[in-house]
Amino acid sequence: MAELRGSFGDAPNHVLTRWFGTPDLHRLAVYESRAGGYVALRKVLLEMAPADIVGEVKKSGLRGRGGAGFATGTKWSFINRDAPGPKYVVVNADESEPGTSKDRYILENSPHMFLEGAMIAAYTIGANQVWIYIRGEYDAPYRMLVEAIAEAREKGYLGSKPMGKDYPLDVQLYRGHGAYICGEETALLESLEGKRAQPRSRPPFPAVKGAWGRPTLLNNVETLATVPWIVNNGGAAYAKFGTEKSPGTRLMSVSGNVRKPGVYEVELGQTFTHVIMELAGGPPDGRKVKVFWPGGSSAPVLPESMLDTHTDMEALAAARSMGGSGGVIVMDDTHCVVRAAYRLLRFYAHESCGKCTPCRVGGDWAVRTYERILANEGSEVELGILERVADGLQNGRCLCGLGDSAGWVIDSTFRHFREEYEDHALRHTCNVGGAPPALRATSPQVERIANA
Amino acid sequence: MSVLSPHLVDEIKALPARYPQPRSAVMPALDLAQEELGYLTPEAMSEVAVALQLDPGYVEGVATFYTLFHLQPIGKHRFYVCTNLSCSLRGSGEIVDHVKGAIGVKDAGEVSSDGLFSYEEVECLGACEFAPMMRLDHQYHYDLTVEKIDQLVAERKSPSAAAPASAPLPNPLPEGERGQPAPKRVRKKKGG
Repeated sequence: MAELRGSFGDAPNHVLTRWFGTPDLHRLAVYESRAGGYVALRKVLLEMAPADIVGEVKKSGLRGRGGAGFATGTKWSFINRDAPGPKYVVVNADESEPGTSKDRYILENSPHMFLEGAMIAAYTIGANQVWIYIRGEYDAPYRMLVEAIAEAREKGYLGSKPMGKDYPLDVQLYRGHGAYICGEETALLESLEGKRAQPRSRPPFPAVKGAWGRPTLLNNVETLATVPWIVNNGGAAYAKFGTEKSPGTRLMSVSGNVRKPGVYEVELGQTFTHVIMELAGGPPDGRKVKVFWPGGSSAPVLPESMLDTHTDMEALAAARSMGGSGGVIVMDDTHCVVRAAYRLLRFYAHESCGKCTPCRVGGDWAVRTYERILANEGSEVELGILERVADGLQNGRCLCGLGDSAGWVIDSTFRHFREEYEDHALRHTCNVGGAPPALRATSPQVERIANA
Repeated sequence: MSVLSPHLVDEIKALPARYPQPRSAVMPALDLAQEELGYLTPEAMSEVAVALQLDPGYVEGVATFYTLFHLQPIGKHRFYVCTNLSCSLRGSGEIVDHVKGAIGVKDAGEVSSDGLFSYEEVECLGACEFAPMMRLDHQYHYDLTVEKIDQLVAERKSPSAAAPASAPLPNPLPEGERGQPAPKRVRKKKGG
C-alpha cells in the first residue's frame, strides 16, 4: 500500500482517520479487533429501529461529503421504507472532482469502515442491495473492495442472515469508465443502467425513482464511512465537532504548491490558514499563496487575503464559494491565474456530456476565448465574451451543476484577479514567470476548434 | 467471421442476469471485449450488441461516451498522465514531454513503432497528494520524475525484466467473484 500522506492515528479530532495506519486495517479481522469494526452494524441490526438510526444521523447533523452538502439524515428519511418492491443504496465512489482524493484515501485504508456504513444505510432505508459505482481508474481501491466484500460474505455479515438477523444484505460493484459527469447523481444512475451518462431532469428524485426505476439512496463514500462512528458514539457526540450548522469533521485533500500535500481530517470551522499553512506546510520557501480552490476545482477561488476564511459551509457561502468536495488546490505566486483558469475550462469543456446547450457550447466558447487571450490576441472584446459566457453557464440554465462550475471558475477568477486578465488581454503581458500549466490542445472540442 | 472468442461471447451472454435490468451489462461486456482485443472495433461492438440483444448503434453510443473505452489501437502499455491543475502545478508538463521522448511518439494516442507504448493526457485521477502522478496500465505511479519514467519504460522494453506489478485488472469481476450467485433480478411488468 502507498505511503500515508495525511491524517492518521490518535488525535482529538480524528473521527474517520483514528485507526488509519494500523497494519492490515483493510482486513476484516484487524478492523474488528483493533478498530471496533462491525459493532455498529450489529447494534443497528439487533437493537435499533430504522427510525432511531435516522434519528441519530439527523442529530449528528452530518451533511453529504460529495459536494452538495445535503443533510444526510434528511436524505435517508425521504425513502419510504415500507413501500413494496426493491430499493437500493447506490454509492458514489466515482471521485473525480479535480484536486480530490479523500474517498480513495478511505477506500485504500479502511474499506470495511465504509462498507459497514453502507450496510447500515441499506438496512435503515429498507434496501437489500448496495451498488458501489467506483471510478474505473481506481484499480487498487477496487481490488481492496472486492476482497473486503468477499471477507464480509465469508463472515456472514453479507448474506441471508447478517449477524443472525433475518435481513438479506448484499453489496455489488460497478465500475465507471472515465466520465466526470458520473459524479452527478442522476448521470451516475444512467451510467449504472448501461447508458450514456447524461443527467436526468428532476423530479422524479432518486428517492422516488432512482436506479432501475426504484427508490434509491445515493451517498458519497466519506458520508457513509462516517456513519459507524455516529452509531457507536451517538449523533450528539458527533455534533460536538465543528460548527452548529456544519457539524463534524471532513477529509480535505490538500494539493498543489504546498510542502506537505495530503488528505487531512479537519474539524469544520477551522480556517484555511490552519489547513494550508499549518497542516500542509504552506508553499515552498520564498513563495506565497496566490489563490486557492477551497472545495475542488468547482468551488469558486479565494485569494490569499481570504486564507482566514473558515472551512464550514456557511462561512464559505458568505465568501461566495463553497465546501464542495473538500479538495483544496493551492497555487503560489509563481503561477498565472489566467492559465490555470484556462486549464480548468478545458476540463469542463471536455467533460460536458453535451445534453444542455449552454454547457456544451459555453465551454467551447470559453476555451477558444482563453486561447486567444493567451496567444496575445485578446482585447476588451474577449474579456466581455468571457463574462457573458460565464453568466450563460450559470444560474440553473443547465440540468446539472457542471455548467455552473465552469462558469464559477471564470467568474471567481475575474472577481479576484481582474488585473491579471487585463494584463493578458489588454497589455499582452503576464505578471508571473515560472512554468505555466501545460497549454496543450487535447480535448476533442479544442482539437475541433483548432482544425476548423 | 467472429472477432470475439466463443467463450467470451458466452461470458457476455451470462452478464445481464447479474443486474436488475439486463442493459446494465453493456459496459462490463465492452470491458471483456476490450480486454481481449486491446481496443473496440466496430465488429466487436456489433458482436457485443448481438450477444446482449441490443442495437449496435446503442452499444457504440455508450462506448464513445466513456474515455476508458478505446476505439483506436493502443500500445501494449498505456501511460495515462494526469495533467489537471494539481499535477500541472507540480510539473506534469515536463513529465508528458519526457514520456513522449522516452516511448518515441509525437502525439497522444499514437502507438510507438514497436507497438509497446502509447500515452494519453488525462484529467484528475484522484491521487493529488502524490502529484505529479499517472496510471500505467492498471497501476498508479506517484511522485513522478524523469528518472522514474525512464525506469518504467526500460523495464517494459527489456523482455528479461521481471514482469511489472501491473497485472491486468480482472474484468468485470475477479475470479473469486465470478460464479457467485447473481443478485436477484427484479423486472417490472411494464416499461423499464
